[in-house]
Parts: sequence; structure tokens; C-alpha cells
Amino acid sequence: MNWLKKDSVLVPIDFSDISYQAIPIAKMYIEETSVLKIIHVLSPLHPADPAAMWDTLKDDERKQKVQSFLRKKIYDLGYGAVDIEVTIGDPGTKISDYAAEIEADLIVMPSHGERGLRQILIGSVAERVVRQAHCPVLVLKSSAKAKKD
Amino acid sequence: MRRTLFKLRTWHYLLIAFILLVPQAVLAQEDGTAASPGLLEAAFQKIIDLLNLVFYFKIGGENGIPFIVLWLVMGAVFFTLRMKFINLRAFKHAIEVVQGKYDDPEDEGDVSHFQALAAALSGTVGIGNIAGVAIAIRLGGPGAAFWMTMAGFLGMSSKFAECTLGQKFRTIKPDGTVGGGPMYYLSKGLSSIGMRGLGQGLGVMYAVFCAIATMGAGNMFQANQAYAAVANVVPFFENASWLFGLILVAIVGLVILGGIERIGAVAGLLVPLMAVIYTLACVWVMLARFTDIPGAIGTIISSAFVPEAVAGGLLGAIVIGFQRAVFSNEAGIGSAAIAHSAARTDEPVREGIVALLEPFIDTMFICNMTAIVIVLTGVYADPASAELDGARLSAESFATVISWFPYVIAVAGFLFAISTMISWSYYGQMAWTYLFGDATVNVYKVLFLACGFIGSIINLQLVLEFSDILLLAMSVPNLLGCFLLSGVVANDLEHYMSRLTSGAMLAEIGAPAREPILK
Repeated sequence: MNWLKKDSVLVPIDFSDISYQAIPIAKMYIEETSVLKIIHVLSPLHPADPAAMWDTLKDDERKQKVQSFLRKKIYDLGYGAVDIEVTIGDPGTKISDYAAEIEADLIVMPSHGERGLRQILIGSVAERVVRQAHCPVLVLKSSAKAKKD
Repeated sequence: MRRTLFKLRTWHYLLIAFILLVPQAVLAQEDGTAASPGLLEAAFQKIIDLLNLVFYFKIGGENGIPFIVLWLVMGAVFFTLRMKFINLRAFKHAIEVVQGKYDDPEDEGDVSHFQALAAALSGTVGIGNIAGVAIAIRLGGPGAAFWMTMAGFLGMSSKFAECTLGQKFRTIKPDGTVGGGPMYYLSKGLSSIGMRGLGQGLGVMYAVFCAIATMGAGNMFQANQAYAAVANVVPFFENASWLFGLILVAIVGLVILGGIERIGAVAGLLVPLMAVIYTLACVWVMLARFTDIPGAIGTIISSAFVPEAVAGGLLGAIVIGFQRAVFSNEAGIGSAAIAHSAARTDEPVREGIVALLEPFIDTMFICNMTAIVIVLTGVYADPASAELDGARLSAESFATVISWFPYVIAVAGFLFAISTMISWSYYGQMAWTYLFGDATVNVYKVLFLACGFIGSIINLQLVLEFSDILLLAMSVPNLLGCFLLSGVVANDLEHYMSRLTSGAMLAEIGAPAREPILK
């Protein structure tokens, strides 16, 4: 049984309900929550966003705000203290880069399961992570989740 | 390494777009047959015809008023009456708010009232203020300038309503950035009055229109008229519009795709400077022809009611005036609400009041200056320059008094186009994100740049028709939602005004007013 246990598991959170549902599944692979890592990837501000235009919202401030937001949210969900990383850039790239950096053994994330034109326009972060990550990626399907419920 | 790979993907899209577009443009120009439309132009004509059929059908026969223009006029009049002439009674308060008298650093939001107004203005004040007025006078005679002013005045009220709603129903995201604008107030606002389904439908409809329309007015039209202004003084570009398009798109692309914000910041600094130089030049021309001013104003007013040689007569002049004014100041279109929702305040009405200054500055002030210069110098009426339109007509009018001014217009036009394109790509990106999320914004940006390129190579008429109809279409979901929510706005306004006049408001702000007075 122990061969399934991981030393470091990464869960990317994009604030969607379904992304939080990856946390309990990730927990099944670890012994204690301290090896669970959370990452959120912010998109860069558009240069014409009033906050960017007047430079009133620094990148560090944005990261800080997301840190405290997620810390509270995850605490409220009952998972205690976990490591939270916030970066800015392309989600697919940043998630796989961070996984490599912390030498994660597993990434657990949902696929939003879009099809056709919407898939092209929304893009699949999960797909990118699967392609770029150095470690196994557990992609949760929305249909499987429905069955479990 | 991975990062560069990702960048490469983006540049791939760009490369493919240009490989497809540039040879077309070069070929079309080498043929030298502007009269035979290329494949691109034919495709655009098809889209325009279809859109016109839906939104531009005329009420009251051949010389009637197009539905969409009537819709905007009715909207502006309705909000002016419903908000009891907010455009007049809140004007003084608006200036006080912009001066920072009511700023409270403790409130939520990203920028001050002044900063929000400036950000919104950078999308509004553009080459339309130079070229749009000339187009209006060319099509609707000098009287169209009067109707533009009228539209600006009434538009202040629609602008108030939409920006109040933008603030009221904004979303503050976990990272502190603000999501706001018609998409949000249509869905959240209408939900709050029990019209959830309609609200969500209108919100999506608006976002779709907005994402597409940003390709026209804030992009193709800007590129097209910046090219006209530059080619006017640099004959080299006369036969190389594709090269101009590439340069313009490369600069905008570096800012919005490459993240080189410095260029944006430089353009942002130069644009207000250009606006000041432009205004001074207008004053200069007026002073030089001082004695003709009463005559020019007389011509504008008299031909507003008895237009000569204008298709559709009086109604035609009104339609053209309103259309060009809305194109310039965005009142009723809802786009400015996106920028205004970022303001730091807990009083939505206050930001709405700030926003009503926009049509005033843009249309009643800057556009009117251009109009007076054009009418004053009389170039528009000279049969020798009958083929001049848009930016070229404005440049020619200034040249009669300041011979080198077309060069300034070329520089100003170029910078205005860059800053407006950057601003509108932001509006479009917000709409895109609302529909599809953050992950694929680069697809939008590449499409945006491709359209900017197309705009600089195809003719004005086509660009104008395409930009017009798409921009106006945004007012359908936006104003419908604003009508339905007008009761909410009116209530908030009444409450706000009663606190303002009783003096309770200043006491709520910051420490200074709360300092205990020891007797």
C-alpha cells in the first residue's frame, strides 16, 4: 500500500469549485498535509487596466492578497495549514515549472471537460500540464466526479 | 526554456496571420486598382450587409431613422429625464470629486476617481476627435456638429447610468483586481431584480458583441485614420499601407503581447501632451480667424435645422451627428464602465457622476473645437478638396492657418491610435475573459492585431461601416439592461443626493472631517 504514498503532491487551484475538489483526492496519496502544495497562477495585468496604467497594484501585492485569500479558504474547508505558491504567467507552464522545482511526485487537477469550439477558446490547462510536467498527473474528469457524488 | 516555447506559439499565430495577410495587401496595392475590391474587402462587405440588415433597418421608410440610432437617442433622452438632468445638476460635484475632495483611501478599488477617469478617457479621446468630426461634417454638413454636441450633452446621462451600474455590480477578485462593466451588471444586476435568465443572456450577448466590436472602432478605425494622417505628410507610405500597418501593429503588439509596458507608458505620457497641443492649435486657429467665429457658429446652428444638400435632410443630419458622437464618446455603449469600475469608492453613484464628464470633455469640448476649425476655415465647402475626408480634411483645415500642422496631426494621430488601440484591447480582453476565461487571451490579442493590420490597408468607407454597426450593436443589450435597472440607479441617486446636500457625506470621509473640535 505504501508504494502509492507520495512525498510531495501539487494541487493547482483556479478558484473554481471543482478545483478545490482535487484536494481531498490528493490527500488520499499522502500521509500528512504538510507535503501538500497548492499553486495559483495569476494572469499578468493588461497594460491598459487602470491599476496597471497607474501602477497602483503591484504584482507582489496581488500575490499577497491571493495568499491570504487561499489560506483562509483552505482553512475554512478544513484542511489546516498547507504551502501556497502564487505566481504570475501562463498557467500550464508555471504549474509544471513549479512541480519540477519542488520535485513533486504527483499533480492532481481537474479537467473542465470542454469540447469543440469552447475547448479551443477556453484552452485546457490540464492538457498542457500533462504534456509538460516531469511527474505523473492525475486528471480528474467531471463525469467521474458526478458518479462519485 | 518552456517559457520561450510558449512565446514561440504566440509568435507562430502572428506569423501565420501575416503570411496570409501581407501578400494580399501588397498585391492589391501593386495592382493599383483601389476600385476593384480584394477578397478581404468583399468578405467584410458581406458581414456589414448582414449586420446592417439586422440593426440598421430604417424606421419610417427610405429617409427614416435607423432603429439603432433611434434606440441610442431614446436612451440618452430617457436617462436625462429619468435622472432629472443629472448632466446639469451634478456637474459641479463631478469636478469636486475628480479633484479628490471625496477620495477615501480605505474604500475598495484600485485607482482614484481622477485616475479612473483618465484611464477611461484614453480609450475615448482618440483619432475620432480629429477624424470623426470631419466625417460627420462631410456627410451631414456643418449642422451635424450641432447634433454631435447635443448627443454629447444627453449622452452624459446614459454614461452616468452605465458607470454607476458598473461600480455597483462589480466583482473584486481575490488578487484585488476588479471585474466590472456591462457583462457583470447585466447578469448580476438583472438577477438582483428577479430577471436572472434575461440578465445572463444579455451579459453573454454583450460580451460577444464587445469582443467583436473592439476589433472595429477601437482598432481598425484607429489604424485606418492614423494611416491617413501619416500618409498625408509622408508620401512614401502612400503606396505602402501594409508597411505602415505592420509598424503600427508591431508597436501595439509589443505592448499587449510582449508585455513591454514602457511603450504604453510613453504613449500614455505623450497622449495628454498631444491633446494639449491639439487644443492650443485649435485656439490658435480660432484667434487667427477671430472675426469669423460668430459666422462659423451661426453656420453650424442654422444648418443644424435647415441642412442643405444632406441626404435625409434634418433627420439625416441628426442621425449622422448622434452616430459620430456616440462613436467618439461611447455613451450608451457601456465600454467605459469597464474602466470606471476600478475606481476606489464605496459610492457607485459618485463614480457615475465622475463618468459624466467624459462626453463633456470628449464631445462637447474637443470635438466642438475641431468642428469650429473645420467650418471656420471653410475647407470642407471648397469644391477643390471635395475628395478629402476624415483626418485628411481636418489636417487640410488646420493647414490653411498653420502650414506645418498636418505633421502634428500625423504624430498626434499615430499616438492617439496606439493608446486607443491598447485601451480597447483591454475592453475586448475583459469581454473575452468573461466568456472564455484567462487561458486563451492570446488568441484574442492575435486576432486584434490582425484586424488592426487589415484596418490600415482597406478603405475608410468599409472600415467605418463595419466599426459603426458593431459598436452600435453593443448598445442593444447594454441600454436594455440599463432601462430595466434605471429604477435602482434613480433610487441610489436620490439617496446619494440627499446625503450630499445635507452635508452628511463629507463627514463620512477620512479622518479630517472627524477630528474632534475642542471647545
